[in-house]
Amino acid sequence: MKVILRATLITLPILFFTFFYLYINEDKYYPGADFRTFEMPIFEINNLYDGSNISNNDLRGTYLINVWASWCITCRVEHGFLSRLSNEGIPIIGLNYKDKKDDAISWITKFGDPYELIIHDLKGELALDMGVTGAPETFLLHNGNVIAQYRGEVNKMIWKDVFIPVIEKEEIFNND
Amino acid sequence: MIKSCILLILFFSFSISADILYEFENLEDEKRFYNLIKEVRCPKCTSGSLASSNAPVSEDLKQKIIELIKKGKTDKEIKVFLTSRFGNDVLYNPGFNQNTYFLWIAPILFLIVGLMMFVIRKK
Repeated sequence: MKVILRATLITLPILFFTFFYLYINEDKYYPGADFRTFEMPIFEINNLYDGSNISNNDLRGTYLINVWASWCITCRVEHGFLSRLSNEGIPIIGLNYKDKKDDAISWITKFGDPYELIIHDLKGELALDMGVTGAPETFLLHNGNVIAQYRGEVNKMIWKDVFIPVIEKEEIFNND
Repeated sequence: MIKSCILLILFFSFSISADILYEFENLEDEKRFYNLIKEVRCPKCTSGSLASSNAPVSEDLKQKIIELIKKGKTDKEIKVFLTSRFGNDVLYNPGFNQNTYFLWIAPILFLIVGLMMFVIRKK
């Protein structure tokens, strides 16, 4: 009995500290990253530019979906990197979040449009269904499923550590 | 004097009205809603509940919960909806699953170890 007790008393703190050591030193850990897979919610929302309908049928294939708004300062910060990704051939869909149409269009005209198309989610309904808590957020959509999500600014480091591993694993965007 | 008092009262009188924030079909639904928003964490806040938050996403979520209640969804279904969108952290009360079993078992483990120590010391 005493042996068991001694063993437990020694093992428990060791396990405890090992657990925290590993947890703290996990260098690829990003609190904003989420790799749960979920089906893209069914939606039908207007195109920002011409008001035409955009639905799930328009998003067949593989895309990045970037949630942005003209009032969002961090979106301005990540905009350069998104433009670079777009120039490298990564197809990006813009999800304009709770923004006035005119503000959004003048913002995108001023800073450049890296998006293949822009969904105008005025009330944030689709965004809520996708689990968006604010802007910017970026989703990786593959064959109708969201396979990676990042809450916050996507930059070179986040792209490399959060998105690239999933992209390589799923063997998508092979053309670049 | 009376005249000036009446004037003063008229001068400072104003209408107070409260808009109905959330509308429900019955009292039961209203109770469910207020219980639910206390159990759900606001995804944008450090650790406030939906009930304590006026963040835009919290307001949206409250409206969504009302919509789901009106559609006849049970509390469990609503919680499944919320966790599927915002992760398990969105509920204050973590369910028993492979990520949380240690959390639930740990107190019992510590209690057993403590009791063992106590018994051995006594001997």
